[in-house]
Amino acid sequence: MQPLTTEMILVILMIGVAVFLFVVEWVRVDVVAILMMVALPLLHLVSPKEAFVGLSSNAVISIIAVIIIGAGLDKTGVINRMVAPIIRLAGNSSSRVIIFISLAVAGISSFMQNIGAAALFLPAIQRISKRLKIPLSQLLMPIGFSAILGGTITLVGCSPLILLNDLLVPFNLEPFGLFDVTPIGLALVASGIACFILFGRFILPRGGGADKDADQSTEEVEPLLASGKMVELHTPADFTHYREPVLVEDLRRRYLINTLSITEPPDYKVISPPLDTEIRSDIDLLVHGRLEDVHRMAEHENMQIKETLQVFQAEFNQERGGMVEAVVAPRSALEGKTLRAANLQDRFRVTPLAVYRKGQTYRADIGDIPLTVGDAVLLYGSWNRLSTLQAEKIFLFTTPVDTEQMRPEKAVFAGFWLVLALTMVMGFKIQLSVSLMTGALGMIITRVLSIDEAYQSVDWRTIFLLAGLIPLGIATEKTGTAAWIANAVLQTIGTVQPIVLLTVIGILSTVFTLVISNVGATVLLVPLVVNMALAAHTDPRMAALVVGLATSNSFILPTHQVNALYMGPGGYRSIDFMKSGMVISVLFIIVMILMIQLIYGA
Amino acid sequence: MAIITISRGSYSRGKEVAEAVAARLGYECISRDVLLDASKRFNIPEVKLIRAIHDAPTLLQRMGHDRSAYMAYIRSALTWRVREDNVVYHGLAGHILLQGVSHVLKVRIIADIENRAAAEAAREGISLKKARELLVKDDEERRRWSHSLYGKDPWDSHLYDLILHVKKLRTEDAVEFICQAANLPQFHATEASRQKLEDLALACRIKAAILDVDKDADITCEYGNLIVYSQAGERAVRQLEKRAAALLGEIPAINNLEVHEGKAPAGAGA
Repeated sequence: MQPLTTEMILVILMIGVAVFLFVVEWVRVDVVAILMMVALPLLHLVSPKEAFVGLSSNAVISIIAVIIIGAGLDKTGVINRMVAPIIRLAGNSSSRVIIFISLAVAGISSFMQNIGAAALFLPAIQRISKRLKIPLSQLLMPIGFSAILGGTITLVGCSPLILLNDLLVPFNLEPFGLFDVTPIGLALVASGIACFILFGRFILPRGGGADKDADQSTEEVEPLLASGKMVELHTPADFTHYREPVLVEDLRRRYLINTLSITEPPDYKVISPPLDTEIRSDIDLLVHGRLEDVHRMAEHENMQIKETLQVFQAEFNQERGGMVEAVVAPRSALEGKTLRAANLQDRFRVTPLAVYRKGQTYRADIGDIPLTVGDAVLLYGSWNRLSTLQAEKIFLFTTPVDTEQMRPEKAVFAGFWLVLALTMVMGFKIQLSVSLMTGALGMIITRVLSIDEAYQSVDWRTIFLLAGLIPLGIATEKTGTAAWIANAVLQTIGTVQPIVLLTVIGILSTVFTLVISNVGATVLLVPLVVNMALAAHTDPRMAALVVGLATSNSFILPTHQVNALYMGPGGYRSIDFMKSGMVISVLFIIVMILMIQLIYGA
Repeated sequence: MAIITISRGSYSRGKEVAEAVAARLGYECISRDVLLDASKRFNIPEVKLIRAIHDAPTLLQRMGHDRSAYMAYIRSALTWRVREDNVVYHGLAGHILLQGVSHVLKVRIIADIENRAAAEAAREGISLKKARELLVKDDEERRRWSHSLYGKDPWDSHLYDLILHVKKLRTEDAVEFICQAANLPQFHATEASRQKLEDLALACRIKAAILDVDKDADITCEYGNLIVYSQAGERAVRQLEKRAAALLGEIPAINNLEVHEGKAPAGAGA
């Protein structure tokens, strides 16, 4: 075995630093990646050119293009239009709903980002849940897992697979084709769906969370929207006499009542009034809160409750405004911040009414709750203001508010450019990055989306994460560190059958992806496993493929973006993911290894 | 009308003054009754509560949490008792346990060590020197106690509204000053200050009820809307949520009770 050199030690140290920083999250993952881009050339482990080659790699360009294409499809409502027929096909049965929507989400996820596919279907799933009275917790997890599994159907379905061919280049190994993984991916999706259909009642939480009772299912279908009622009140002519001024904020603090709208004489209505607005005499106000709190407020403050909405009927009838449930999006600027810091009231004039997280509805001091991905926030405002907020992309809205800014007339163009890109790859064997970027460019030129919208849609965190870890992979291979580690591992485990080696690689990839990102796991493990496979006389391409697939095996913890997104609306707890995720993860490895054996005879 | 707390060192005639003030104003006079209340309600031997409120903590005690738990019980009993106003409390730490309530008149009675020693020597039948030593030790214990639990020095004059040095002042003079201060409008209970006291009492009651789950939880209460802030982890939060659901049904004064994971806003919390 080659002796350990100083360069190898430095590379191992840098890997350790990267893994440590990923785990402790002292800095963001993309910052860790940029650290690698800078540290590696300074330590002379890679050349300066190699340090930044990631930014121009085929994988990174492909991912940028895939994201833009996905954004274009989203903008034209092409995907939205698929929702209605799928729901019709699914009918009224819980199993059929899971099967059809899971297949649809998996299919979309095969050429779009998993999180995009998952987010797109979230509102529809919530509507189905309400209509068919199926607990959301029974639907979201199977469908969310299908979105993740769908990423294994094509080579552009997820970042690790997009990255795979680039990582094989140093070894002069034949790259994989766009649909080389499709049989394996389809088998994984089918087995995942089958597992939930057959064993869902054992592995899924009952009615919305690990400890919830089944009879709470109706409330959990719309926990936020059911957290209060809209009521109209009137203040008497002597309301302000002989008392301290009563502000909108006072009603919130004392009675947990949110003032949605207020009249100002002579006939002006203010929607989402600022917190320091005074409640005057002889005015009408539209509030939201629990009925018992409204009654308590009316009694203490001497207000008159109206039986029906009169003055604010137009607002309630959604001509001008309404309530929406918005979920904190993955990588949202709101993550870790409070609503007070976000200052939605002043910036967008929308009123946050309640927050829903892990089965609990919070109505008090919601301005001070640090938000996490998947938290659902009930918002009220005019549609114009909610649209402005939606454009910020800090929330995913479960009901569309932005219909005016969709471009359904461009749907044909969007579809055309997608088909063209795929034809270029499959039919003309043109490089994946070139084909996809052609499709993306076509969408911009035909104004499916503007260039600025294209830039805004790109998730730069993923791009820099990829670009920054690629040089670490290069360093691992170039210095012989990968070979050294591979030999060390093989000396420890001894001679094993190829199927056993591939299984071990699969398990290793699964563990790594839970701890560091899927991209990080892929970049670090591919050079290692290729060397291991070469030393053990096993097909190195298969070893790399196992890594590319198994780094999507992220079900046990809600660390994957899709799981984080569905956690809040589904009312799931970490234990729910551990239970279902363990079963699916084991099934994933078994099916993956069997399919690789079957198709490639590895 | 008002709540009067009288803090004093031992043998400073504080008890005498407190009882005279209560008699003059027609207020209830309480001290040890609070400890009896707490003992009965929370099933803690009174002697443990007395030690908690009197002795400075040892090193081992500082590492444990029992003392702060006992203080939570005492505070809960005290705040619940004084909700009705018109109370004179001359137990320990009233100025700390009732801080934040505007209609509390915080009085401190101080006396010369020599006069105090003479009073103790006469009462206990011991020498002056011995009496002086005991008083110095007792004062030091209380100081350390106040520091250890609340980070405050009981001799800090900023903690009080009125400090009376009973050297030249007679008991009747001290009583006169205190009664005049109590009648000032700034020490009259208002609707807002009563609400604040109600909220404090409710928060302390909930704190006492959840101590076994999370001793370090902060609780805020405003108009009967309570928030429990816990940093004890997800499991503790789930347990607190179950406890909160039970308490909601038991205590009518609670309008809303939520458990939030994390720290309470600065300056808030019981």
